Amino acid sequence: MSLVFRIAREEWRLWSRSRVVVIAALTIAVLVGVTSLLTARGVADQAANRTARQAEAEAAFFAQPDRHPHRMVHYGHYAFRTPPPLAVFDPGVDAVTGQSIFLEGHRQNTAMFADARSGADLGGFAALTPASLYQLLVPLLLIVLGHGIVLRERESGTLAVHLAQGQSGLTLMLGKALALAGVGGLLLLPVAALALAAIAGGEAPLAAVLLVGGYALYLAVWALFVLAVSLWLDRRSVALGMLVFAWLVTSLVVPRIAIDAASAAVEAPGKIESDLAMLSRQRAIGDGHNAADPAFEALRKQVLDQYGKQDVAQLPINWRGVVADYSEKKLTALMNEIAEDRMTREAAQSRVVTAFGIVSPALALGAASRALAGTDLATHHRFLRESEVLRYDFVQALNNLHARALTYADDAARSSDPEAEARTRVSAKAWSLLASFRFVPDPASARAARAVQPLGLLVFWLAVLCCAVVVGARRLRP
Amino acid sequence: MSALLRETRFLLRDRGAVLWIALALLLSAAATGFGIVEVRDQRATIAMLLEEDARERKSALAGQEDWGGAAYAAFHLTYAPPSDLAFAALGQRDTAPWLHRVRILALEGQIHEADTRNADFGLIGRFDFAFMAATLAPLLLILLLHDLRSAERVAGRHDLLVATAGAARQVWLPRALVRFIGLSLGVMVPFWIGAGFEGTAPGKVVTGSALVIGALLIWWLLVELVARGKASPPVQLTGLVGLWIALALLVPATARALIEAHTPVPDGAEILMLQREAVNDAWDKPKAATMQPFLARYPEWQAWGAVDKPFAWKWYFAFQEVGDMQAEPLAKSWREGGLARDKAAGIAAFLSPASLVERGFERLAGTDSRATIAYEDRVRLFHAKLRAFHYPLLFREPPYDPLAFAKLPRYRPEP
Repeated sequence: MSLVFRIAREEWRLWSRSRVVVIAALTIAVLVGVTSLLTARGVADQAANRTARQAEAEAAFFAQPDRHPHRMVHYGHYAFRTPPPLAVFDPGVDAVTGQSIFLEGHRQNTAMFADARSGADLGGFAALTPASLYQLLVPLLLIVLGHGIVLRERESGTLAVHLAQGQSGLTLMLGKALALAGVGGLLLLPVAALALAAIAGGEAPLAAVLLVGGYALYLAVWALFVLAVSLWLDRRSVALGMLVFAWLVTSLVVPRIAIDAASAAVEAPGKIESDLAMLSRQRAIGDGHNAADPAFEALRKQVLDQYGKQDVAQLPINWRGVVADYSEKKLTALMNEIAEDRMTREAAQSRVVTAFGIVSPALALGAASRALAGTDLATHHRFLRESEVLRYDFVQALNNLHARALTYADDAARSSDPEAEARTRVSAKAWSLLASFRFVPDPASARAARAVQPLGLLVFWLAVLCCAVVVGARRLRP
Repeated sequence: MSALLRETRFLLRDRGAVLWIALALLLSAAATGFGIVEVRDQRATIAMLLEEDARERKSALAGQEDWGGAAYAAFHLTYAPPSDLAFAALGQRDTAPWLHRVRILALEGQIHEADTRNADFGLIGRFDFAFMAATLAPLLLILLLHDLRSAERVAGRHDLLVATAGAARQVWLPRALVRFIGLSLGVMVPFWIGAGFEGTAPGKVVTGSALVIGALLIWWLLVELVARGKASPPVQLTGLVGLWIALALLVPATARALIEAHTPVPDGAEILMLQREAVNDAWDKPKAATMQPFLARYPEWQAWGAVDKPFAWKWYFAFQEVGDMQAEPLAKSWREGGLARDKAAGIAAFLSPASLVERGFERLAGTDSRATIAYEDRVRLFHAKLRAFHYPLLFREPPYDPLAFAKLPRYRPEP
């Protein structure tokens, strides 16, 4: 054991003397530090800002004066997607999806005002986050450090000396692996610190620990890959070229190819496209603003029968409100069907993307990281679904008020008779029907379940590379 | 000339070099192919939506009985079709909307709708030609050229070669030139073929090609400077990859962070909230509170400006416009903030050849932030035309005649 440790210590000593290594390591350390601080501050600002705005939006709704309930349906409400605690490490899709959504009757709006839209466009990579630094740059540091870990000894002839002294290839390898693991451990400290901060901010320990574990797994995969290449190839410059090439393909090319492939493989119509496709079916439901729409004939008969009346004017409830309630219900079912279809297709696209993780550890880790942090596409979909429930509930509560608190005669005359109009105004006290909304991502266990598949891909790579290293170490010859 | 031919023969026997060039060709072909598939898809979507939109408008107008109801019901498709070069640089088309359906209601409530695709696409980004040429090609060039000298040094032939050739330049220049040309062709040929398929304007192809080759020349110069040092091949490659990271990744990201901190834009959500409050408050305010600011902007409707019923369409649409007017300063500063950031980014891009190439391509392809804002401006212009069409009907109230809608303004995309 002490031999293994001595080999590792020798490696650390060499690295600490190499200017290239020290400069590279310091650069990465500074980058990770600065990016972590900036991202953490930015996300904290966003979280505070959106939480405050959510409360403001609620207060504004409650503060509306007495008015016709349907006016409140169109006054509407806002839902804000507050970033979860782990977003300080991986903000994920937050910058590309809108952060707020306007909720009103008869419509499902899109989330608006994504940061990416007003961002300064310098092409290439999105803004740096701690997560993207780990996914992209840290492997390069491992490559720079480790590509010569065995080859250096081979090229200088010391490998023969080691082996002649009776050290087995495996012992040597364990020492080298320990040396890289030590670096990996150091590199993980900032992730661990951010994870701890997230736990302090209310994150479930399970998600935070798995996140750190995922990155540890990723660094282990790269370290083993570097080790394997250093073992199996026989020239340093070839090994380095090969490693840089592998990094380029798996970290830069495959993820983007995966996006193109997913876009080509699964057709997912945009909102406008699916809205247009929905319109003819929407007309069959009828316009809820127009109680005389022939589409409501069956409903009219049914309600009249139920109350034993001949005419809607004799009903004890306001027929217009009944229609508003009924058409909102039908329309929402239709809109949800379309929205669910779109989300299912988007999820299918994302599954295609994640499947490419089999050839790109960076892609697999990215998917796992966003899932665990609660900043993935599925969490955004959850936000859309939850805000839709919020929308439907307050709209239907208002429609219910419309049907029960107003008389049909006043409601029908309100456009031309100011006195009737005044009587259709409901007391502002009723606006407290709006439910409070604070967005939180899925529970940690559900997020962990989503991360299992991509993490499994990483484990698969770890196993394959372990075998490659062990086999390579056993047949190690000078 | 004979030196070039000799080096070409050597190149063909150098498996490593052939591999990098073949890879460049393959990646470039994939990027171009995916780009063409995507823009054709987008064009097909637009063509299909245009038909649907016309049909929908017709049936929405069919059931109407007054001018106000018709104005309320008629939606209009606006869109920004992909240009003949968009296949090479999809740019902002994944994060900014290029389709809207607008009607005469307050525009601020409609124009910020984001009809964007899968969020993962915007996050990870597409593998388009601009990314390939701006970011990956330089890295391939580095891998191809970094050990020209040092490999010969390691092989022990370096001094002999230089001595036999007379001048060092006569050995390395032809050798590097042949590799440079090989890589450039590998990158550019698929793009040229793609441009042929897409019928891209020759001027854009020439400018785009010059941009890519110019940037690659800069990278070659950088490689050359590092290669003159006497460091070992791995150290040189490490240095070059470090340089690549600095120029292709860190400089753009840092510039971006600095620009965004330095040029704040108003919180978009505020535009919408302000507009909503303005529009909704109008219901409860006296009619004059709406009609006064409205008539100040449109004095021509003064004579028809009186509203004596609790509800009148002209008042309804007037307060929609007054809502837009209230949000105008904020919307304007949002737009100008975006433009200012883009301008600053354009200057910062000179620090990074990779940013310069990508931005250059997006500009040529009309997929940059400026083009996105130009599209928004067109939507605003079209919406103003819609208002100009409907206001005379709403205020003068001639007898309802659906035939008038044959003259509804039509959205025309930028040619």
